[in-house]
Amino acid sequence: MVRNIVILGGNSHPTLTENICNILGLPVSNRTLSKFSVGETRCEIKDSVRGKDVFIIQSGGGSVNDHLMELCIMISACKIGSAKRVTAVLPLFPYSRQPDLPYNKAGAPLSKPPSEVPKDKYTFESVPATPAPGIDKTPSFNTDTDLSRVMSRTSLTNGNGQGLVNGVSRPNGEGSTSSDQPLISAPARPGLTTMHTQSFTTHDLQNPALVSTFQAKPGYKRWVAQAGTLVADLLTCAGADHVVALDLHDPQYQGFFDIPMDNLYGRPLLQRYIQQNIPDFKDAVIVSPDAGGAKRATAIADSLGMEFALIHKERRPTRITDRQNATMMLVGNVANRVCILIDDLVDTANTITRAAKLLRKERATVVYALITHGVFSGDAIQRINLSAIDRIVVTNSVPQDEHRRLCSKLDVLDVSPIFAEAIRRIHHGESISVLFQYD
Amino acid sequence: MNEIKLLSGNSHPVLAKLVANRLGIDIAKTMSLNYSNQETSVSIGESVRDEDVFILQSTSPGDINDGLMELLIMIHTAGCNHVITMDLHASQIQGFFNVPVDNLYAEPSVLRYIRENLNGEDIVIVSPDAGGAKRATSIADRLDRGFALIHKERPRPNVVGRMVLVGDVVGKVAILVDDMADTCGTLAKAAATVRENGAREVIAIVTHGILSGDAINILNNSCLSQIVVTNTVPLGNKGELCKKLRVIDVSPTLAEAIRRTHNGESVSFLFNHAPT
Repeated sequence: MVRNIVILGGNSHPTLTENICNILGLPVSNRTLSKFSVGETRCEIKDSVRGKDVFIIQSGGGSVNDHLMELCIMISACKIGSAKRVTAVLPLFPYSRQPDLPYNKAGAPLSKPPSEVPKDKYTFESVPATPAPGIDKTPSFNTDTDLSRVMSRTSLTNGNGQGLVNGVSRPNGEGSTSSDQPLISAPARPGLTTMHTQSFTTHDLQNPALVSTFQAKPGYKRWVAQAGTLVADLLTCAGADHVVALDLHDPQYQGFFDIPMDNLYGRPLLQRYIQQNIPDFKDAVIVSPDAGGAKRATAIADSLGMEFALIHKERRPTRITDRQNATMMLVGNVANRVCILIDDLVDTANTITRAAKLLRKERATVVYALITHGVFSGDAIQRINLSAIDRIVVTNSVPQDEHRRLCSKLDVLDVSPIFAEAIRRIHHGESISVLFQYD
Repeated sequence: MNEIKLLSGNSHPVLAKLVANRLGIDIAKTMSLNYSNQETSVSIGESVRDEDVFILQSTSPGDINDGLMELLIMIHTAGCNHVITMDLHASQIQGFFNVPVDNLYAEPSVLRYIRENLNGEDIVIVSPDAGGAKRATSIADRLDRGFALIHKERPRPNVVGRMVLVGDVVGKVAILVDDMADTCGTLAKAAATVRENGAREVIAIVTHGILSGDAINILNNSCLSQIVVTNTVPLGNKGELCKKLRVIDVSPTLAEAIRRTHNGESVSFLFNHAPT
């Protein structure tokens, strides 16, 4: 029994909160968390928190914004209620994936200049014929040597080996290195000339029709606002003294906080699963579905003494007719072997199912996917059910009951012991670095 | 260079359009939407560098938290230097900000509405609770009309007792004035109380018509003959569902506040005058 400690749970994941409390031998503190008829969040903490060490558990799945607001209000309520310390425990950190800027690989946003101004419409204010994107040109410039046109073509050809569509450069975020980055230009968008078939995304949009109607001002490429430090600032501003997260997509995110932040690892769990549930795991191959996750995957491969392969997204011009896999290539040998895909987050499951398809094509016998956070938004579950993945393993950092019901391939690992131990150690002021060790 | 850029969130595009028209500008091209994992994404389609950016976001009933996150993400990179609101429920909230807050009043618009549509010798302004007394007396004074107040007796905590009317409404047109009407339960009760005390007709004027939950039904079944709200909150098709609903357009006030803030002029003029 740990004393002087209060564990509160948000509405996002009551089961996890209960599990953690059971392990710690504590009751879940009583609170009311509902919404007013307007839709504003209402929070009442029924237990005294004065002088207590408060831990608030709230995950980032489901209606993210509601849960985030709940968390901020709860933190603030505890802080105002004279809690000694408030720790926000976020098994899945909301907005931890930064959306990619829809710039092309060349970096600068190039776009088609506005339609030519007829010569008789020129006014005193007309801009001189400097060859820059978005600036009107004199007819003499409107030849084959249109500089901005050449420039945009060049950058695109270098970028992805495709010509221009209607002379418009494509805001498809081809410069991104990690497929886990949400690209706004999802291939799911219908009717957009700027869309192209090779880019794919793990971030589907709820209302793709809206995207196709959106057009930036001529001469300006869309800029996607980045949540960035916003969530960190909100939590700090609400009064959090400490933040605990699990397998942050970008470990650098810790730098956004000026309060202590502990990033726990789901790796020990995944590793144990491999050791206990995959027969002859020593002969299997650990595969990272993209270059961004290579570090994560090699760490597991190294500590288990297994081989490693990487899926690389090819961006050079290729003549492969199989469009779907034209941009993916496998580095390493997986023929006749069991493959284990490792990633930190599966959202729309696009990356992981494509990776599995490629592995199957390269004659892998069985494909496992071990992922820390299973968000499974959109039609991810259906995609996985139809995919080449034989077994997908996630933790319960977000609620998985519904997913498990829909997907027979899904195994769920329990992360509550990790969080319970972290909470216990943080409360007692013990080191939690032992949780970072895996062997 | 350094022009007004008006950005609109998803919560109230209609009001944004009205304000933009009034200012003679276009709404900046932005798009905010949710990813399938329900995180909010905001794209901005034109340069806002060095511009004077105004973001208009109301609270549309239901998805307030989404609207709020949308607003936060929009202002996140720029930081917020100034807040303009209308009829804050508690004016003390102004003190919670570290940046200047201009709390505009709907009162001038309300006064004009009363003068143009309801004026007569026999009106009386009624505040449905003690908290709104100041707002109601201020209107009564400006109109030089009588004032009454409804007092809620609370015999025990958490038990709302009967409502007691203080003041004379017999044979008069009673105008209930409040800043916010959500589920309208209190408002309907207050109207009934005023009616029982002999008012000839009961009208409600409310700044923020949130009208969530069962509000429309309650209003339709109440003895209110008219409910007047401003368009600070999107009303959707509530006007069709409730024939008693009238709307005051406050976009001229907001537009004028934006113009004055942009030009560094005083906005206090708007506390007493409604631009036409």
